[in-house]
Amino acid sequence: MRRCGTTAGGGVGNLALRGVSKRFGSTVVLDDVSLEIGADEFLVVLGPSGCGKSTLLRAIAGLETIDAGEIEIDGARVDHLPPGKRGVAMVFQGYALYPHMTVRGNIAFGLKNIGTERAEIDRRIAAVARMLEIEHLLQRLPAELSGGQRQRVAIGRAIVKDPKVFMFDEPLSNLDAALRSRTRQEIANLHRRIRKAMIFVTHDQTEAMTLADRIVVMNQQRIEQVGTPLQVYREPATIFVATFIGSPAMNILPVTRAAGSGTLQWVRLADGTQIETTASEASLPGQGALRLGLRPESVRLCGLGDGQTKALVDFVEFLGDKTHVLLSLAGGDRLVALDGASCPVHAGESVGVLFDRAATHLFDAEGRNRGLTG
Amino acid sequence: MTLRAPSAGAGAGRNWALLALLALASLAMAAPLLWTLLLSLKSNGDLLRSTRSAFSPPYTLQNYSDILGHSAVFGWLLNSTIVSLAVTLGVLALSSLAGYGFARLRFPGRAVLFIVLLFGLAIPEQSVIIARHQMFSALNLHNTYRGLILPGLAAPFGVFLMTQYFRATPRELEEAATLDGASRFKIFWRILLPLSLPAQATLGIFTFLSTWNDYWWPLISATDSDMYTLTVGVASSQMNFAQTNGLGYLMAQAVFASAPILIVYVIFQRYIVAGVSRAAT
Ligand SMILES: Nc1ncnc2c1ncn2[C@@H]1O[C@H](COP(=O)(O)OP(=O)(O)OP(=O)(O)O)[C@@H](O)[C@H]1O
Ligand SMILES: [Mg+2]
Repeated sequence: MRRCGTTAGGGVGNLALRGVSKRFGSTVVLDDVSLEIGADEFLVVLGPSGCGKSTLLRAIAGLETIDAGEIEIDGARVDHLPPGKRGVAMVFQGYALYPHMTVRGNIAFGLKNIGTERAEIDRRIAAVARMLEIEHLLQRLPAELSGGQRQRVAIGRAIVKDPKVFMFDEPLSNLDAALRSRTRQEIANLHRRIRKAMIFVTHDQTEAMTLADRIVVMNQQRIEQVGTPLQVYREPATIFVATFIGSPAMNILPVTRAAGSGTLQWVRLADGTQIETTASEASLPGQGALRLGLRPESVRLCGLGDGQTKALVDFVEFLGDKTHVLLSLAGGDRLVALDGASCPVHAGESVGVLFDRAATHLFDAEGRNRGLTG
Repeated sequence: MTLRAPSAGAGAGRNWALLALLALASLAMAAPLLWTLLLSLKSNGDLLRSTRSAFSPPYTLQNYSDILGHSAVFGWLLNSTIVSLAVTLGVLALSSLAGYGFARLRFPGRAVLFIVLLFGLAIPEQSVIIARHQMFSALNLHNTYRGLILPGLAAPFGVFLMTQYFRATPRELEEAATLDGASRFKIFWRILLPLSLPAQATLGIFTFLSTWNDYWWPLISATDSDMYTLTVGVASSQMNFAQTNGLGYLMAQAVFASAPILIVYVIFQRYIVAGVSRAAT
């Protein structure tokens, strides 16, 4: 093993990708992707449709060849091995159960292929069926199961092989909302019990935030950021991560440099308001446009005279436990504030606005967050 | 075929009308068959006077015992069975393998080869039969089982059907099997082939029926009466003026020649129904 500094799980047995690239013809689908996963880590790959998430999983599984880079599992190169020999199992989005085999046959297929003894197969199937509570379904055909049950069988088929890495490609997207949140918890429980490396692909940020030890945010064939849910939320590395994670999305306002005192950069909004950021003046490039990111919850409403600036309330969305307030500033900037359930404002009013200095993000022309320390 | 009863009472009348219509249609379809069966049970003499006598006794099995008394008939039955089974199994095996290849393997010239195959669909047997006859003469294949079987194995339609079928099966299934450590052949054998049973059953029945009923090629290739298939043999044993003098015998021959087909159909039908209902779920 060469290095395991950045893995959360650490320890023996992990998966490493180094400089992995994949092209379909002239289309680049994975661009120089590097990643390490701890032996018992739950990693969620999050990104918009078409960014290469599935391709990443399929490359690790061996269902796609890679054009450049290395894939290692347990310290051994696997990128030249056939899929069945890599020690990975995958739960497909459509489950891909063999329609003509019973549940038992589906789960046993992989074990039979590697020549496992009958008694051992029976023992393992019994254990998995008990764990997933599918004992009563073993003799059924997939067509005779509900969506949730099929999902369990697909998971059982993966677990029974005792792989080093589990991969899930959007496993919840075919389930209805209630079942989705229940299955999400079950998958979290499953991970707690078997403590194996899991890679879970989704484009749903709720799934990512609730399940992940670390989140890999992908966009346009590249990894934008790898970090814990808290990190990607609090310290988004790029403007893409900042706006992709969080609901409602982070407010992004164009700003100009303002002369300030001290080492931190001050910026000016279109309406003239000056705001101190967390970016140090020295670290910023001398040129180029800057954009300020403000989470809706760090935009606070107050009395007209008390704010850093004032804004017109365009629209109020009351959601029960919270309220979205859409504001427009004098300079033409529009932004969303998140307030409590008892938000007293109404559309058409003018209100004072305060910005939470510690929660500002300053992005440079390339979209990189300059406010991060380190 | 099953009829689903409409739930509302108003639908009951329409349901009866539909049933009556279907019964009428079935009767129209079955009438020639029943007529054949009826005629085969009458003596040739009675029928010579009037076919109306078919509706009244005496009935006799004389025509059937005449057929069975013809010593060569069991040999022809055997020939037909061997040729039809061999062609059917051969077509199923070759079409599945070729279809899998066209659907899933990447090899140079695949597209061109598939187009050539499609041309094969459009070429009528008549246009190639002289060339084929000469080729089989040169190869000394006439009056052999190989001579009767080989032409039937070139089945572009079967390859086309299986290619389309395999193309339509989800790739994820094969990928799951790959991850389960199955070899390419095992994936074909344990996953794709069982899933293609409905198509195999359809292709198998049509191939068997058309081979069994084939008359022209066996007539040309099998000149030795030991190598006759049932269709050729039965035709050869017909006397002159059979349509008038030996109508009962003629009808008994027709029944006798098609009985094995009926049996095969009844057996295969179970698979068709099972296949269709599986595909529907
Ligand atoms: N076999 C292929 N040939 C050509 N292009 C492909 C192929 N497979 C995927 N792509 C392209 O690669 C890109 C990434 O696809 P991928 O399936 O990895 O996206 P994804 O992030 O999983 O999206 P989704 O969330 O919609 O599943 C897409 O633009 C897609 O069109
Ligand atoms: Mg995908």
